[in-house]
Amino acid sequence: MILASLIMNTQGKPRLTKFYEHLSVERQQEVLRAVYSVLSSRADNLCSFVESDDIFGPDTKLVYKHFATLYFVFVIDNAESELGILDLIQVFVETLDRCFKNVCELDIVHNFNKVHTILDEIVMGGQVVETSSAEVMKAVQDIWKLERVGDLNPANVKGIGHYRNSRS
Amino acid sequence: MALSGMRGLSVFISDVRNCQNKEQEGVRVDKELANIRTRFKNEKGLSVYEKKKYVWKMLYIYMLGYDVDFGHMETVALISAPKYAEKQVGYIVTSCLLNENHDFLRLVINTVRNDIIGRNETFQCLALTMVGNVGGREFSESLAPDVQKLLISNSCRPLVRKKAALCLLRLYRKNPDVVNIDGWSERMVQLLDERDLGVLTAVMSLLVALVANNPEAYWNCVPKCVRTLERLTRGHDIPQEYTYYGIPSPWLQVKTMRVLQYFPAIDDPSIRKSLLDVLQRILLHTDVVKNVNKNNASHAVLFEALALVMHLDAEKEMMSQCVVLLGKFISVREPNIRYLGLENMTRMLLVADVAESIKKHQSQIIISLKDPDISIRRRSLDLLYGMCDVSNAKEIVEELLQYLTTADFGIREELALKAAILAEKFAPDLSWYVDVILQLIEKAGDFVSDEIWYRVVFFVTNNDDLQAYAAEKARGYLDKPAVHETMVKVAGYLLGEYSHLLARRPGCSPKEIFHIINGKFPGVTTPTKAILLSACVKIMMHCQPPNKELVEQVVAVFKRYECSVDAEVQQRAVEFLALSRKGLAMVDIMAEMPKFPERQSALLKKAEDTDGDAAEISATKMRLQQQNSTALVVRDPVPNNGGLHPLSLSKAADSGRHQEQAAESEPPQASGAVPPSESQVYSNGTTLQQAPRAGSREPSGDLLVDLMGPLAIEAPPSAASTSPSDLLALEAPPSAPPAAAIAPGDNLALALLDEAPTQVQPLRNVAEWFKELSMKDSGVLYEDPYVQIGLKAEWRNAQGRMVLFVGNKHTGPLTNLRSSILPPPHLRMQSAAVPNTIPPRAQVQVPVDVACIRASRETAVLDFSYSVGHTPVNITVRLPTLLNKFLQVAPVSANEFVARWRALGGPPTKLQEVVRGVRPMPLAQMADLFIRLHVGVAPGLDPNVNNIVAATTFYSGTAATLCLVRVETDPSDRTQMRLTVASEEPNLTYELKELIKEHVMDIPFASQRTQVATPSAMGLTGPAAALAGLI
Repeated sequence: MILASLIMNTQGKPRLTKFYEHLSVERQQEVLRAVYSVLSSRADNLCSFVESDDIFGPDTKLVYKHFATLYFVFVIDNAESELGILDLIQVFVETLDRCFKNVCELDIVHNFNKVHTILDEIVMGGQVVETSSAEVMKAVQDIWKLERVGDLNPANVKGIGHYRNSRS
Repeated sequence: MALSGMRGLSVFISDVRNCQNKEQEGVRVDKELANIRTRFKNEKGLSVYEKKKYVWKMLYIYMLGYDVDFGHMETVALISAPKYAEKQVGYIVTSCLLNENHDFLRLVINTVRNDIIGRNETFQCLALTMVGNVGGREFSESLAPDVQKLLISNSCRPLVRKKAALCLLRLYRKNPDVVNIDGWSERMVQLLDERDLGVLTAVMSLLVALVANNPEAYWNCVPKCVRTLERLTRGHDIPQEYTYYGIPSPWLQVKTMRVLQYFPAIDDPSIRKSLLDVLQRILLHTDVVKNVNKNNASHAVLFEALALVMHLDAEKEMMSQCVVLLGKFISVREPNIRYLGLENMTRMLLVADVAESIKKHQSQIIISLKDPDISIRRRSLDLLYGMCDVSNAKEIVEELLQYLTTADFGIREELALKAAILAEKFAPDLSWYVDVILQLIEKAGDFVSDEIWYRVVFFVTNNDDLQAYAAEKARGYLDKPAVHETMVKVAGYLLGEYSHLLARRPGCSPKEIFHIINGKFPGVTTPTKAILLSACVKIMMHCQPPNKELVEQVVAVFKRYECSVDAEVQQRAVEFLALSRKGLAMVDIMAEMPKFPERQSALLKKAEDTDGDAAEISATKMRLQQQNSTALVVRDPVPNNGGLHPLSLSKAADSGRHQEQAAESEPPQASGAVPPSESQVYSNGTTLQQAPRAGSREPSGDLLVDLMGPLAIEAPPSAASTSPSDLLALEAPPSAPPAAAIAPGDNLALALLDEAPTQVQPLRNVAEWFKELSMKDSGVLYEDPYVQIGLKAEWRNAQGRMVLFVGNKHTGPLTNLRSSILPPPHLRMQSAAVPNTIPPRAQVQVPVDVACIRASRETAVLDFSYSVGHTPVNITVRLPTLLNKFLQVAPVSANEFVARWRALGGPPTKLQEVVRGVRPMPLAQMADLFIRLHVGVAPGLDPNVNNIVAATTFYSGTAATLCLVRVETDPSDRTQMRLTVASEEPNLTYELKELIKEHVMDIPFASQRTQVATPSAMGLTGPAAALAGLI
């Protein structure tokens, strides 16, 4: 099972946290600090797996990928395949990339609500819902369409694409 | 900047980002929280948009680590809103903020249920995702049936169905007792025909959970899983969106292979063959490519295939192919592959035949021990630890020691511990062992727990030819600058006891040794000072004829500590001072420590216990547990005052369990170096020599502890050391008759010690082992300090095969082995002979075939004897050839059951009894107990929820007899129940009824000693007991 999906930047600031077993706020922060201190001490050419028995309990591992200023970290128990989770992180990032066109940290910070929606289409209750980036995109776009229809505030009608154009 | 689609949210996020420090951030967050709180108070005026915005802000603040203790109601209320946008926010934020037991969730159960059973698929998805993420008990109770319906519905979109599968999985995992999965094995078979790979992946995850709980029930899914795997590996009919970097859904391939690992074994030859063909193809056709992502995916599949091959215990050829592949992986540069290569090779160690071929890679594994990546170093350490045996121990342990000098802090403790364990387990000779431990103390003294150096003392004391060697080594280490305190302890002890053996060597005269020891006093803690004081008095005693100068110097030391604030040090100083005036009479008292009785190493025992504790999760995991390496993290060493503390000593008298604990932590006493036993025994009038016996495992030891515990300890320690009566006792000549209270224990101790080896005791209650084995098919049957007998059994219908694993734990050979099996009349048994001798640390296997002729609860008895040294040991234990081993769960339909039940009218084919004194347990636990007895519970057959109805088939000879069971319980009194058993055969009915009774009633174990001596106390009846009684 996946115990948590985390995105944090290379300064240790959380950008997205989702725990699939409930933890208190204090415990969540402890965990984030511990994960960050482990990851920040690891050079890039090392492997993507770190045993995390002292953070999450016995037989747990961090599987992570480092992209530019961000760490994508999945905490797993021994029922998951490590390389499989790396694939999944790749799917997650590719999907973010498709949604935000060359995703960067700022996109994730300001669209954290959208990132939550995307993650929910990939992982649910600690299990993988979908591994096809195309399928995830389809589901997410349906949701956004519905959201926009349901919302009366004109600010919302602007899509992500619109923002992209205005920024570039 | 409407980035998030909400200006207010974006502004807030930017504000927080612009804060220079945590304080500023806190101020900004507090301001926002206050704002949200006020706005929520006048909820009426809030627009949909605003509500959404505030709830998202709350989640953002929560992610930053601030406790958001309000607004939960508003969040949950959004779930009930009619518009999709509100609902969506409500569902997502609720699943992040609230835990499964939150009261507010109860309020929305109805809304959630309506969303799930409603026609709106988008609402269904939202609700399922939230329930799947939260997964509470009340959700399980009220929603599981609806979720099940969605999963098997034909009209739902794949998106809904895959979420339903995972939602159900979560509800089932969290509350397996609430979710009704009867008949799901058929459903799962149908679901595995699913064409949509997304749904199939989710179904496969669900199947993992179901199979993990009850593999027997899902056998029928195996062929479908194998077919799915075939289809995927051939790449037939795989839609483009499920092809990941050219590989057909690697995720699903991995999941499918994972499911298959939860089935104990796949015996059907044709299925096994097609599966092995698929796996063979994966092993052969996975190449390393440039693209990292493609490589990851293909190797994810490959590693899972390796794990499955190992699980299947495939043919030797395929196994060695796996070892070759793993050998390749552990030498590649790509760190992920190397990491997993090492991890899987560690698993591979469990496969019997390949251990030798793994050893060929030893040098490569040692290279990984020096890798810059700590993850890889840990894997490599685990692997080396696992592959170590007598043949390569020297090389591996020395490599670990060498690495210890440069190892970083994170791994040093584990490294030191593993080196110590390996050195002890596989030492080719004891002087090497002493060398290793002394080096270990020198390099990582902080991590060498007391157990480790006690063990050195143990070996040195018991081996005369080791003593001079050890003393010389110890002396060498003390010369070095900055010696670790543990080294001072062990060296001080060894020099005190044995330095006289070196007296003629240069630099080793008593005076010189004393000088070295005296120099260590200033820098050590009081417990060490106590050891050094003992060393001084022994050095002085060994110096015959007495050297006046030396005596003066030693006496000066005692005088210095005569007024020590530490009661223990003071007492020693005072007593030794008094003793030193006795002249020759002192020699008797200060004689060398006697040999210790053979006992299990506390270190190894702890290592084994830690292994045993790990939870049993998956099949792979269970296999891993058989091996020592993975779970070995002994973090807190037992506080070394265990045996010394007054409380623990007096408690020791309370129960057998406590006694054992006291005995484990007793080495400080036994080594005679550490406080009370030695000095207090002395002050009670006995001689120092008896000290080590006080805590030994022999029954006499327990007696002594009982007798002396109160005597020595009831007075506060300081009073004890200074009270006039103690001093008076000191004045009495040592040969004076011992205090009356000691006398009986004392004599007993000596008498029993003479014949100690015949008193070899099992390490645990034999009946407990037996009881465990009555429900399991592998485990320990018997264990004492010299021999361990493990048992592994397979049962099929009326036949069974057991293998006894007889292991010699001792450092010397076990000789005169004899084993015979006494079958009861209803069993036919045949066993192979045991060899006459088992070499040290070796194991032999004894296969035993069993066939059942009729029903009986009697069991076979194993009569086993061996000799250690010249002492014969005889063991008689029951073998778990129980009635339930010949039972198999029988699925029956309601109609069938009722018809049969009626047909079997009354006694003697149907027997009923009201059983009293039942161990109170919830119904689910009782059902579980039945299943473990191979009596299949059929839930729902009986309309009364307090009843259990079950059926099983008993196999004997060529016959198979159906047995029906009904249990009626009274929820207001769980200590009684009405048990009815029916079968066509009266004898079987009776025996099965008695068997069930035995297991639901609480029968206390008889005490350990009577168990071994008189097997009839083990509840045996019939001829087997008579036979056992005769032996």
